[in-house]
Amino acid sequence: MSKIYRYECRRLLWNKFFVGLAAVLLLYGALVLHGATILGVAHTAPFSPWSFGDYLSRMLPLLWIGTLFLLTFFTSGRARRAAVLTDATPMPPRTYALARCAAALTGGLLLTLLCTGEAAVFYGRMFGWYGWGSLALPALATLLPPLIFAMGSGWLLGQLRPWLLYVWMAAPLLLAALPLPEALGLWNGSFFTTYPLSLGTLDPGFTLPVPVIAAQLLLLGLGAVLLMKTSKPAGRLR
Amino acid sequence: MKTIRLLPLELGRLLQSRLTWLVMLLTVLGPAAGLFLYKPATAATMNSIYLANPAIAGGVVGGILFGLLAIFELDRARRSRMDVLTDAAVSPLCTALARLLALLAAAVLTVALTALLWLPVSAGLTGAVFDGTDYLLAYLLLMGAALPLGILAASCAYQFTRRADLSGVLLAVFAALSLTVWAGDWQLCWLNPCVWALSDDFSNFRVFCSVAWMRLTWLLALSGVWTLSWLCVRQHGKGALGSLARSARRAYRPAVALALLACSCAVHLAQPFIDHSNPDLTVMSFYEIPYAQDVTFLSRSAQVFPDTSAGTVTGRASYRLRNASGREQRISFGINPGYAVSHVRANGADVPFSVSDYQEYNEALLEVTVPAEEVVEVTMEYSGLPQESIPTMQGGKELSSEYLCLENAALSPRLLNVLPGENGYPAELEITLPANMTAVPFGSAQAEVVSQDESGARTWRWEDNGTGGILYAGDYVREDIEAGGMTIQFYYGRKHQAVMEEVGAVEAVRAVVDYCTRHYGMLSFGSGETLKLIQSRVAGGGYAADGASLLDEADFTAANLGDTGKGAAPGETFIHELVHQWWGLGNMFDAADPAGPWSAEGLTVYTTYRIVKELYGEAYAREHYVDQWQRAVDDYYLNFYVRHPEYLELLPESEQLSISNSLSGVRQYSEMPLKILRAEQLVGGEEAMDKILYSLFNRELDPMYPYLTYEEFLSACALTEEELNLE
Repeated sequence: MSKIYRYECRRLLWNKFFVGLAAVLLLYGALVLHGATILGVAHTAPFSPWSFGDYLSRMLPLLWIGTLFLLTFFTSGRARRAAVLTDATPMPPRTYALARCAAALTGGLLLTLLCTGEAAVFYGRMFGWYGWGSLALPALATLLPPLIFAMGSGWLLGQLRPWLLYVWMAAPLLLAALPLPEALGLWNGSFFTTYPLSLGTLDPGFTLPVPVIAAQLLLLGLGAVLLMKTSKPAGRLR
Repeated sequence: MKTIRLLPLELGRLLQSRLTWLVMLLTVLGPAAGLFLYKPATAATMNSIYLANPAIAGGVVGGILFGLLAIFELDRARRSRMDVLTDAAVSPLCTALARLLALLAAAVLTVALTALLWLPVSAGLTGAVFDGTDYLLAYLLLMGAALPLGILAASCAYQFTRRADLSGVLLAVFAALSLTVWAGDWQLCWLNPCVWALSDDFSNFRVFCSVAWMRLTWLLALSGVWTLSWLCVRQHGKGALGSLARSARRAYRPAVALALLACSCAVHLAQPFIDHSNPDLTVMSFYEIPYAQDVTFLSRSAQVFPDTSAGTVTGRASYRLRNASGREQRISFGINPGYAVSHVRANGADVPFSVSDYQEYNEALLEVTVPAEEVVEVTMEYSGLPQESIPTMQGGKELSSEYLCLENAALSPRLLNVLPGENGYPAELEITLPANMTAVPFGSAQAEVVSQDESGARTWRWEDNGTGGILYAGDYVREDIEAGGMTIQFYYGRKHQAVMEEVGAVEAVRAVVDYCTRHYGMLSFGSGETLKLIQSRVAGGGYAADGASLLDEADFTAANLGDTGKGAAPGETFIHELVHQWWGLGNMFDAADPAGPWSAEGLTVYTTYRIVKELYGEAYAREHYVDQWQRAVDDYYLNFYVRHPEYLELLPESEQLSISNSLSGVRQYSEMPLKILRAEQLVGGEEAMDKILYSLFNRELDPMYPYLTYEEFLSACALTEEELNLE
């Protein structure tokens, strides 16, 4: 399995497409950091968990799109034609699908690491600030549930119809335009700009209200369940 | 013929490719980048924000994407190793030409689609000032022309190198040069034309002509280079040079390439729009020319005939001088460098004259030798396209049937070295304009119609006193308003009528002039009985002189009038902009320190609040002004950088400036009015503050530093900076 995982990783990550995606992500990240994050949100420092969370929320649509793009490697017409051959191999379909999913997840994680790494470099270079530990919680709360959900739902949609993945890429843009309730504020980033102001203190520590935690756990759980379905190899759902 | 037969096939094949449609789709979406990310046009007019920026951004996106598509398509046969077969069937030269034409056709289709799809968006965003001609020209020149240039540049790179990756890098470098190093050079920035503003209320032909000139130059240059690269298209298994030698056997091919390159150079050098004024603005050598001895001025006249369809000016000027020296004298004139001077005569006889190559402040030096006769009448004719000096802010010399502005040497040659006579420099000037245009001399002079021909063109005449003179003319609406003991002649563009009526412009002018004259005194540049308020084409600011004041159209756009930082409603923002005639022009302020709150805005916002209070009552003024300032200031004091300035100091200078600028709006528009309001309470109320402001407005000015400073304000109030501290 590890051999297939390494092969898929190499196929996904060692190509011009991934490099281009990473370059676009870094470029956009730099624009966000220098244009918006540097000002800080809700009267907090640019390196506060709230400002960092706002930065991640702004990057989330691109990470979502990038993750779904990685899945198109496995759901495209060409990949489906090749599946006739790979399905005939003695490899258990569940293991093969998990290896591919793990490779796509690795790609998504690498893109996420690039984003967070860029922010860390920015904070160090601009403010001489290196307290990265305090940023772990907002990063996990903001990114993990939607990326796992993107992976699970994307895999499912890609197996149904490959083009559905491209439609699904627009989801975060749609969410950004919708007036979501406060509990879903992490999905469009409004949480980081409004919630700290409602706490009534200057520079509040990072906390999440229960409805927000519940919404994120729900998203994470849903994503995990959908991922479990990946044990069914591509094409079987049709 | 073979190429023409191949073209539909090639175009059909191109349009069957998904990549082509993706490139077309992204290009169609490209203008969106101009609304959010890339905004090269910095002026605040609606057309700059919602037309110029999207069109330029669309051109940048489309130019690069179509360049990449061209490389991909040219490399397709080679990549799939089919070139050996296709070259055997069709000449590679024919194929290359057919591919180029197919790509150009796809580009034309994309531009047409983009213009069509963005039409309702632009019309909706620009509102009442939307103009179909401006829209079409913007999408044709600012966006459309970038696509063929991108295709040609990329094709050249590929045909020379025959490597897709290297061509991609070359295209990227060429595009990056245009977007960075060449961005300030209007003739070199092939991808992103140097457009800083498009007018809403008047025409933009001058800007579009300049962009068209730049595009033509590059089109000729890249066509020439493409023809050379076309000759290098590999054939018969030869390399670049071998193929070139073979293709060049037909002599007309290299001849066409060289002719195109030569034309490009000629067009580049012969550009008619920008002069060659000395870039060192500290040099004013024309003002140091010694006065002609014993020569004095008697009178002058000029008849000016603008050609509003060609944007040119033809004129005749006559100068009567008294030459008491008893010898020949050399008289100097400043003339716009775009004009050619002819038929220079003195008392009816031809006299020698010369026009210098040296230019400064948008003038060339015309020197005329006049004879040793007591009274000399010098006459001359001049004609040409008036040139301007600042290539990055073109449009000032717009000349069309909607608008023109002829300043000093662009109106008629300006005398430089003759002393005034008993009556100064009396002048009688005439200009012939289309029927819809109104002539408005900048100053107290009034122009009158003296004749009208069959076509409806009217000749306007006015008298002036001076060696220069400025004339504005345009499709103006004139409103005469009695206010502050004088008649305000308010001229604004006809296209802006709906916006002006919506904001109650006439009532606002009356309210402001009445209030400010009563509380602060008459404007120093008012002529006493009349004051002309003239809305100008976007120029980057206004100015005032004897009896007239200029209002930049950018201050009166629907977007600016909706800025709640300046006024609670559009009509109140209009009041704000008019109050600047007192605080800003009547009393000048030094360039605002981005880190400080003192600027013309503080007193202007405070005065706007006082006028609104008088018009709509205290409760309304408090809710929409004082409470709003307080909220903004409270928010400002909580800002992280305000609380921790040490972090601001850690940032690079450019970032510091950017953050200071983002905060300066609150300081100038909210903090300072609040401080003035506190000062008002401390000095004893509104009446006492009005007296203080009256004394400041009418104080004796230091000609070396005529600006009103914060220290002067504090001193007049007998207060210290700490007493006005709001924290």
